[in-house]
Amino acid sequence: MLRIQNLSKTYPGGTQALKNVSFEVNDGEFLVVIGLSGSGKSTLLRCINRLIDPTEGKVYWDNVDVTAAPPTELRQIRRRIGMVFQQFNLVKRSSVMTNVLSGRLGYVNPWMSLIGLWPQDEKKRALQALGRVGIADKAGERADALSGGQQQRVGIARALMQDPKLILADEPVASLDPVLSHSILQYLEQLNKEGITVICSLHFLDLVHRYATRVVALKDGVKVFEGSAQEIDRAKFKEIYGEEAQEVRAASM
Amino acid sequence: MPTARIIRNTLLMALVVAAFAVSFNVTEADFPRLFRDLPKGKDLILAFLTPDVATREMDTRTISIAFPIPCGSAPNENVIPSEGPRLVPSVDCTDPLTKFTLEGFDLAPNSELVIRWKLPDERLMTAIRTRTDSEGYFTSEVEARPIIATKNGVASRLEVDTLTPVGGLKPSQALLDVLDAMFETIFMALLSTTIATIIAAPLSFLAASNITKRGVIGTSVYYIMRFIFNVMRAYDPLSMALIFAFWLSFGPFPGAMALTVVTIASLGKLFSEAVENIDKGSLEALQATGANPLQTVRYGVVPQVIPDFISYIVYHWDINVRISTIIGFVGGGGIGYYLNLSINDFKWHQAGTAIWAIVIVVWAMDFLSAEVRKRLT
Amino acid sequence: MNNEAATRRPIARSAIASALIPGLGQILLGQRYRGVGILLGFLVMLGTVVWYKDPVWYLSPVLIWLWNIWDAVGLAGGRARSLLLPVLVGLAAAYGIGWQVVEIDFRNADLDRAAAIVRPMAHPDFIQPRRERKQMWVQVQVPCSSEPPTARREEEGKVATVIPDCGVVGETLIVSVNGMWPNTETEVTWRTTIGDLKLVGEGESQMLVVTTDDAGSLTTTIRVPSTALVAAPDPSLPQFHRVYFDQYRPIGGVELSYIGNEVLKGALDTVAMALLATGLAMLFAIPLSFLAAHNLMGGNPITYVIYVAVRTLLNILRSIEAIIVAIVFVVIVGLGPFAGMLALALHSVAALGKLYSEVIEGIDPGPIEAIRATGANWVQTVRYAVIPQIVPPFTAFTIYRWDINVRSATIIGFVGGGGLGFLLVELIRVNNMRGVSAVFIAIAVVVIVLDYFSAKLRERLV
Repeated sequence: MLRIQNLSKTYPGGTQALKNVSFEVNDGEFLVVIGLSGSGKSTLLRCINRLIDPTEGKVYWDNVDVTAAPPTELRQIRRRIGMVFQQFNLVKRSSVMTNVLSGRLGYVNPWMSLIGLWPQDEKKRALQALGRVGIADKAGERADALSGGQQQRVGIARALMQDPKLILADEPVASLDPVLSHSILQYLEQLNKEGITVICSLHFLDLVHRYATRVVALKDGVKVFEGSAQEIDRAKFKEIYGEEAQEVRAASM
Repeated sequence: MPTARIIRNTLLMALVVAAFAVSFNVTEADFPRLFRDLPKGKDLILAFLTPDVATREMDTRTISIAFPIPCGSAPNENVIPSEGPRLVPSVDCTDPLTKFTLEGFDLAPNSELVIRWKLPDERLMTAIRTRTDSEGYFTSEVEARPIIATKNGVASRLEVDTLTPVGGLKPSQALLDVLDAMFETIFMALLSTTIATIIAAPLSFLAASNITKRGVIGTSVYYIMRFIFNVMRAYDPLSMALIFAFWLSFGPFPGAMALTVVTIASLGKLFSEAVENIDKGSLEALQATGANPLQTVRYGVVPQVIPDFISYIVYHWDINVRISTIIGFVGGGGIGYYLNLSINDFKWHQAGTAIWAIVIVVWAMDFLSAEVRKRLT
Repeated sequence: MNNEAATRRPIARSAIASALIPGLGQILLGQRYRGVGILLGFLVMLGTVVWYKDPVWYLSPVLIWLWNIWDAVGLAGGRARSLLLPVLVGLAAAYGIGWQVVEIDFRNADLDRAAAIVRPMAHPDFIQPRRERKQMWVQVQVPCSSEPPTARREEEGKVATVIPDCGVVGETLIVSVNGMWPNTETEVTWRTTIGDLKLVGEGESQMLVVTTDDAGSLTTTIRVPSTALVAAPDPSLPQFHRVYFDQYRPIGGVELSYIGNEVLKGALDTVAMALLATGLAMLFAIPLSFLAAHNLMGGNPITYVIYVAVRTLLNILRSIEAIIVAIVFVVIVGLGPFAGMLALALHSVAALGKLYSEVIEGIDPGPIEAIRATGANWVQTVRYAVIPQIVPPFTAFTIYRWDINVRSATIIGFVGGGGLGFLLVELIRVNNMRGVSAVFIAIAVVVIVLDYFSAKLRERLV
């Protein structure tokens, strides 16, 4: 159970990315966050695992105050929260295997990991994770030799290595074409069915209808909607995306 | 505004012309002199173009006759043989400042000859170099200069060395010395590049804005490192070598030290730029997995920068070989020192050998490093 | 049984092959790159240790040879050995030999001496307080003639005397002066007949400094310096030498010191040398670069020969550092910035020629085609399709070269090429570390400022 209370974030330049946002996420949900670019979706997701420190407000995860956690405890929390990124964020010059293994960094002996030694069962776990996303045969290749869709699957495998209870997916399909989008989101849906909570930010409403169990919408850093995908009617849509957004929606449908 | 542009451009042109005029004055440029005196450099350049790379073992034979100046000041040579290698002067003796002809018979054919005087006090004065013909004969005009006069009843002697090459060509001493010096040069470059890399790699992280520029301490460390790198980079390694040679005395060591210091600054700057250009996303991803800062650097930063680092190191090794070839001019050590010595001793053919060695090695390094860097990217 | 023999034979065969020629066994087993690599590595190692002739290092090629046999055996059995071992051996030998060749010895690194060098550098000799001087001198005869004139001189209320009136080398003289500024440090020095300055303080290596009394007088003893007669044509001939008294006092404000003035001049020389050299080099490099461009010259055999010749010439010139070229020019036009400028120019022709020709080779043919398609003639095509493409990079490279030339110009003086380098060598020779420090600061300022502006300019061009 994740509780977000009165979360606000103001960047040093004065931009206010989040304004007093509160909501709750129950275990096992597939929560989708929607909103225009710059509406604060990325900031919100990054405030949950504190890649960005919120200016005000609290984040409680299983009744632990994430926002107040000291560095060591924060790393303990982070290793149970997997994260998937829009730009995949793989280390391009490392092998796929190393990228997947790096999801395990929070668990293994830090000194052994520094000299690049990994226990055999971790390697086995990494191959399994790659197998689950269907690219076990790519383990030895350099990450940048893979296509975009394959790279995102490596990203999911890396998150899987963390043995996560929660996965944060920040626009996981925005850099991919529509066909691949479904295959990536199906992996997330599969994981969600196995009991992992998923919080995912998305652009396209058709994807939201297909995958979300619940939707939170942000506009200029303010929460403007919370409910099921079906509740988003034409009026709501205009409120979230603005008047001119109509055609975009039509195109995405 | 076209008029404004025209005015601006005219001003700029005037400024450039003025700068060149001032420079022309300050450097005391005197092109007529360059062309007038160009022949002065002919010998030097010709010598450089004919390096001393091979010698032949020479068989040297010496024959001599006594030659009293003035006549009667000392006894003449007793007997001049009528066959076999012999020297026959046109006169038996003469007065100072007169000329006579010296002939030689049955010497080694087609050989180099050195004709010289052996003074009464055993000092040697080389007079003429010439060659024998195919029958071992030569003739040459010799001047009896006053310094050759008889002293204390002992006459000067005319000596002739015949130099006959025996055996095949072999590498000259200069070539061997140059190879030795080049060996030293390459190792100077290798060692200074390595030491500089070991020091510059960690320092470069301190000078990378995305790693260090956080908080007051981080920001000041960042600016201090930047400043140090920029200042050190401003110096040519040779100026540094001057100071190090003053401190550590001559030899390859001060040269290598100077090279190391400048390379640290130069590599440090390049490395820090490589670190600044890394993809931030993957660092974020690693932080999100709960990795600690060291792990983040090890798995996020290092793999991204290693190829760039290696490319810069190879590039700098190339540059450092180039600089090592001249650093001996001031610091001592390596081919530069040898070159400086041979130029100071007017041994220009030997200097030519060194220069050709430099051209070949620098060229080879240039080619190799370009190939290696091409493979890396 | 048969099978076993079949596996054993390649093992023995590869081991023997590798023992004879390192890498051969690996090549026979189909590992061509590995084999050639081993052979090359082995030969380089062997060449190095044979050349270096220190028996200790012979171990390393032997170890690599042994490893190579072991590797061949392993390969025949289907297992490659790790390259870590031979690489480590090779590195150990390379750095060990390097360490010895370079004569690295930190015992030489005497910190006291370093401090003696660095401490004066904290006070660069660039400016000095403005001060005025009060000077007095008196003549004294060395050695004595039969009737030496009185060693006494008066001038503007100052009187200086030496007792006795003459002396021989090493003799003690009593010198006194009055009418100077009171309570002021006064430097007492000796000048020979030809005006050489001799110190008369401790060991003839230090300045004798005496403070005047309240009345502005001082009396002290000096010895006639041992080197007073070194330059005299005939040491037995009586000659007039002088004893000088100098006082200085500040009059407020600061002025450029002598060295400071020289440093400014040197900096100007340096920048000017670089500028002129770059301009000159540009003039020659532009036509040469067209001859060295593959896309223009590759067409027919004659132009290709010209291309290869120009390329080779440029490459050879580029390999010779400007400082070596400077030696030749110093012989031709004599010491001074002109020689340095010419050397920089010649080296820059080669460097710029190569860069320019690469620009020409990288020209995009599209615009040329497009302009030609509009019916433009050859000149128009060059003007509107070629020149716009090459001028910005040419300018950028030229400015970049100027920047590099300024750096090189700071050292070209080492061999007599003028500029800051010449000054630096002179100052080091006379052990003037404060002056050296001023030169070093000047170099940093000139290079960094020009570096900054050239970077800005190039940014706007590209």
